[in-house]
Amino acid sequence: MLERRPGWWIAAIYATALVVVALAVGPAIWLVLGAFQPAGGDVGDPVSSLVLGVEGDGADRQRATLENFGAAWGGGDLARPLINSVIVTAARTTLGVLLAALAAYPLARMSFAGRRILFLVILATTMIPEQVIVVPMFKIASGLGLFDSLAGAVIPFAVSAFGVFLCMQAFEQVPHELEEAARMDGASTLRIWWNVMLPLSAPTLATLALFSIIGAWSDLLWPLVILQSESNFTLPVKINEMLGLFSTNPRVAYAASVLALLPIIAFFLIMQRWLRPSLFAGAVKG
Amino acid sequence: MKLRTHHPAAPYLFMLPALAVLGVFLIGSAAQVVYYSIGSYNPFTDTYEFVGGANYARLMGDGVFWRALANAFLYLLVTPVLIVLSLVCALIVDSRVKGSPLLRLLFFLPVVTPTIVAAVAWRLLLNEESGLLNVVLTALGLPGANWLTTHPFTLISAMLVTLWKGFGFYMMVFLAALVAVPRELKEAAAIDGAGRMGTFLNVTLPTLRPTIVLVSIISSISALKVFDELFVTVRGVPPEQQTVVPLVYSLAFERNDFGLACAAGLTLFVVILAFSLLNLWITRRAGGRDA
Repeated sequence: MLERRPGWWIAAIYATALVVVALAVGPAIWLVLGAFQPAGGDVGDPVSSLVLGVEGDGADRQRATLENFGAAWGGGDLARPLINSVIVTAARTTLGVLLAALAAYPLARMSFAGRRILFLVILATTMIPEQVIVVPMFKIASGLGLFDSLAGAVIPFAVSAFGVFLCMQAFEQVPHELEEAARMDGASTLRIWWNVMLPLSAPTLATLALFSIIGAWSDLLWPLVILQSESNFTLPVKINEMLGLFSTNPRVAYAASVLALLPIIAFFLIMQRWLRPSLFAGAVKG
Repeated sequence: MKLRTHHPAAPYLFMLPALAVLGVFLIGSAAQVVYYSIGSYNPFTDTYEFVGGANYARLMGDGVFWRALANAFLYLLVTPVLIVLSLVCALIVDSRVKGSPLLRLLFFLPVVTPTIVAAVAWRLLLNEESGLLNVVLTALGLPGANWLTTHPFTLISAMLVTLWKGFGFYMMVFLAALVAVPRELKEAAAIDGAGRMGTFLNVTLPTLRPTIVLVSIISSISALKVFDELFVTVRGVPPEQQTVVPLVYSLAFERNDFGLACAAGLTLFVVILAFSLLNLWITRRAGGRDA
């Protein structure tokens, strides 16, 4: 430690931290409680009715119920969107990492005609906001037969400039000797990429995968635009629809939201050691 | 002379898949935005007719667009709050008090939460009859507000979701920068008798300046092009009470007016570009260096 810190200072740090923690996890806890609340009664106040039992004039404490989950799963038919979300997220992440790592290798390690211009082309795509081009992108994707298909939700966002730059940074750190040694042994360029560059860049690839999974799991605008039939909906699109459909009992949508939240939180807790602040510096600059 | 180390076609083959996706979908769409914005397109008959600047004229004469644009600028108010909140969080985690890795994890949880889930959760808290916020306001003797239906409270509600989703991300960016603050400088300041505040203001903050600029530009750009938070949190609110991207969505996919939608989108792009350049220019002038 740099210096001794007085007790009041530590207390102030913890007090501030506590407030922010309450802000950070409070809304999610509220949502989970709301999903267990029986239909009827006020929406939006799960704590007084469910936990404290002060709903109405001395009314009994409401019993937590699983009926919203039952209604969401059965009536809402969530299995399909859940599977679709898993497929879309997995495909976008796998392609995203592979395509970015492929494109990054020559940019980081080879000299070839057009290298600079191709780099600038990729850089330029970071300037284009997805939200602004969503209309023509819908036209192009539909023209390629991607309308209302899971492939349509995956392919247009199968690679990002951010991913390419992240991989470039990692590849630049790989010692040249290793690459040369592999080449002496007669390894092909593709083999060196797969057996030398990728394993040595594993932490970066894992972080890229983590970013990609979080982003793809949450994505709403593009799936909303490109997917039309119920059987192709991803979870966010489905929940969006439920908010309108079940508006008489919004708790069903809360239950569906909890089901969308749990897998990604669980996954994040497992993966969180790949969440290294040092990579965020590159993330925003890239 | 460098030895030839790879097949001459290898670099292009490696880059082909990524370039194909980016080229067709991103660059292709960007080019087509211009094309659609100067035409009248009928999605039902698939016919296109060149109309020149007519869409832009309609757009500029439309009060709805200007209100949406004004709202997008109001939305920029999230930026300073985001910077302060995420910087405070980064300083808490960086202070290495006991449990700071756990704090970092908890602060980051909202970033992981899908936006639609975040919006649904906040709709509970902002519910006009029984949501926590209005209950607390009433208990304090203050009037509650129609957070989900009445402008400009609807904007504030969506901004709360943006803040909630965003601060953990920018905290990470600040944490990365805080590592770079030279310990020797801090120690020197402490030896010179600078207090905690003095060290922060004279050593830490100047080192963080470029990062603050970066975060302010990035978060401003995402504020100007916000969609998910508004679309779900205050769903059903008319487009003129939302910002530009929800308006683009509504024009294109509810009113099937692709031309006007693309004109609005492209105008927003120009605004974003101008805004970022201005932002950069001002901070450069004010700072004189770095950034």
